This record gives sequence, structure tokens and C-alpha cells, in this order.
Amino acid sequence: MITAERKPLDEIIAMISPFKKVLVVGCGSCVAECVAGGEKEVGLLASALRMEARMTSRELETLELTLERQCVYEFIDRLTGLIDQYDAVLSLACGAGVQAVAEVFPNIPILPALNTSFLGQTKEAGLWLENCRGCGDCRLHLFADICPVTRCAKQIFNGPCGGSQEGQCEVNPDTPCAWDLIIHRLEERGQLDLLEEVYAPADWSKKQGAGPRKIIREDQQN
Amino acid sequence: MNSETSELNVAIFFCQQLDPDQDGHRRVIEKEFGPRIKFFPLPCSGRIEPLHFLRAFEAGADMVYLITCPEKVCRYQQGNIRAGKRIAYAQKLIEEIGLDPERLKLIMASPPLPKRIDLLTRELLAEAPVKGHSLLGRL
Repeated sequence: MITAERKPLDEIIAMISPFKKVLVVGCGSCVAECVAGGEKEVGLLASALRMEARMTSRELETLELTLERQCVYEFIDRLTGLIDQYDAVLSLACGAGVQAVAEVFPNIPILPALNTSFLGQTKEAGLWLENCRGCGDCRLHLFADICPVTRCAKQIFNGPCGGSQEGQCEVNPDTPCAWDLIIHRLEERGQLDLLEEVYAPADWSKKQGAGPRKIIREDQQN
Repeated sequence: MNSETSELNVAIFFCQQLDPDQDGHRRVIEKEFGPRIKFFPLPCSGRIEPLHFLRAFEAGADMVYLITCPEKVCRYQQGNIRAGKRIAYAQKLIEEIGLDPERLKLIMASPPLPKRIDLLTRELLAEAPVKGHSLLGRL
């Protein structure tokens, strides 16, 4: 899941200030799960913006709409015929969603209401943890399905570093040591022999060495 | 109740577990005060969402209250605790847009239950902070 957080309200107000008619568009996928950009958050933000505009004698008309996904054309197409009636779109999607909508409607400003954060999991209600860097060279099977690139502050493949205390990371004592978790889980699985291997550094060229990455699946193409 | 608070538009969200006869009791107040006092009974205060408060302010409320069951008495165990967290979130949000967060108040009823919602409301109105109409209410 892609996580995000709402920008400070004053930043959003400054972005929309040149516009009188704003379409507030949420995304019902990842950012709804992390309570940043779903239907409820769209309602909350639009209501706050309308009230702020009234109190500052500024003209603002909004319409609230939440797409199932803002990063897929078939869902973005719901905006066709509606978007032209507005001066700008305030998007509560991740950066990918904002850009996808802007690509379909290049003549209308699509304003980002969220700051996109990381790939993560919902650990519990109200708590999201980063657990994937999208490095493009996944080796989770070697590390008991715990990513040392993301969850170890030192990003080491051949750990532990020796600095953890009582299972907590020495860099950030609030965080469990990834290598402590890896070793305990490998022990439970009877796979400690995996640690005898010396692992080569990740192939970072698969991450960002050649600009934006793409995935092509011909069997999925038209 | 002083003259300023008697003129305020007030929205009251409350847990209906507080008062088994809330339907009749709140009608007494509704008849007396008319549309300036609006009640929103909830099955549990934990059902509340920050959006409910914002909608109430947007509709012209000068004061918004949420009345919950006493501490540790919530029928659903944590409803009033969740309600407290949500009201704190909404208070920050209304402060961001320039509304006084004191206009949104959490009232945790004191034991024992039941409490009559009409009597609780009269107490609230008598003690309402004298803040006059909110800017939104005046517009």
C-alpha cells in the first residue's frame, strides 16, 4: 500500500486560492486505507476549505467525488464531462494518482492535497509502517520475509551490526532491530543456515539507476 | 442562561445510552428552543466522526457538544475513548481554519446513569462559554 498524509491546511489554501470552483477528488484505494484520501477525508477537507473561504470572504464552490483509483484510466474517466466545469482539481491521491489524472486532463491544474510517504502495511488501527523500498531486487525469501533494506537503519544484507539492544535498533530505539527479527524467525523456521551465505550488495540499477521505472506485461496489453 | 448564550445555535451529539427516554426528553427542549438547538442521538459516542462536527459548524452551529457516557461505563467498552480522540482531531482541524476550538466541547457525563438529556442540555446552555455567534454563524 502507498501511504500518504494530508498537507498542512494553509499550504492547501494557498494552492487553491486563485480558483473559485474546485473539484475535490479522493482515491478509494491505498490512501483511503491510511485515512488520508478516501471519501471521509474528502468530505472533511472540502468542508474545512468551504468554511475557511466563508470566513475570509473568499468565493469557493466545491464538489466532492471519490474515484475507486486515481491511477487507472478506467476510473479516471468518471471525471470526463465534469472536470471541465471546474477551475482546478484538488486531488487526495498519491503522487502517481495526481500525475495520472493530469495526463488525462492536461489543461486543468491538478493540485496535490497529500504528501506521498512510503510503501507500507497497516500494522494496527491508526499505525502504518514502512516495510518496502521498492528496490526492484527483492530477496525477502533469504531474510525470513523481513526486508533488511527497509527495516534496518543501516540497510545491511549481512547483519546483524551488533549495535542493537534488547531487540531494539540502536539508531532508533523505538524500532525493533530487523536483524533480531530475521534471526529469530529463521530459527523458528529451522533456516538459520541461510545466514552462512555472504550476500552481495543489491543491484541498485534496478531501483533508480535509469530514471523512472516501468513494468511491461505484453500478456496484459491490448 | 444569559441573553448571549440563549441566542446561540447549538448542536448536541450524544450517546443515547445515557437516557433511555431521550426521544421524549429532547423534544421538550426542541419545542422550547426551536431550531436553534439540534440534537443528534448516536447509538454510541464512538460512532462519531470529525466530519459530523464540521458539518454542524458549516450549517451554522456556534457551539457543538458531544456528550458521552462516564469513563469506563461505555456499553461498547471504548466508544467514549474513541470519541475523545476524534473530538481532539476535529478541534485541531477547526483551529487550522481559524475557528475557536473551544466551540467544540466534549462532555463526559458523570455517573450514575441514566441521565435526562433535557436536564443535561439545560446545564450546558447555562454554562456555555460566552463566545457569541461564530463568524460562520454570523455570515
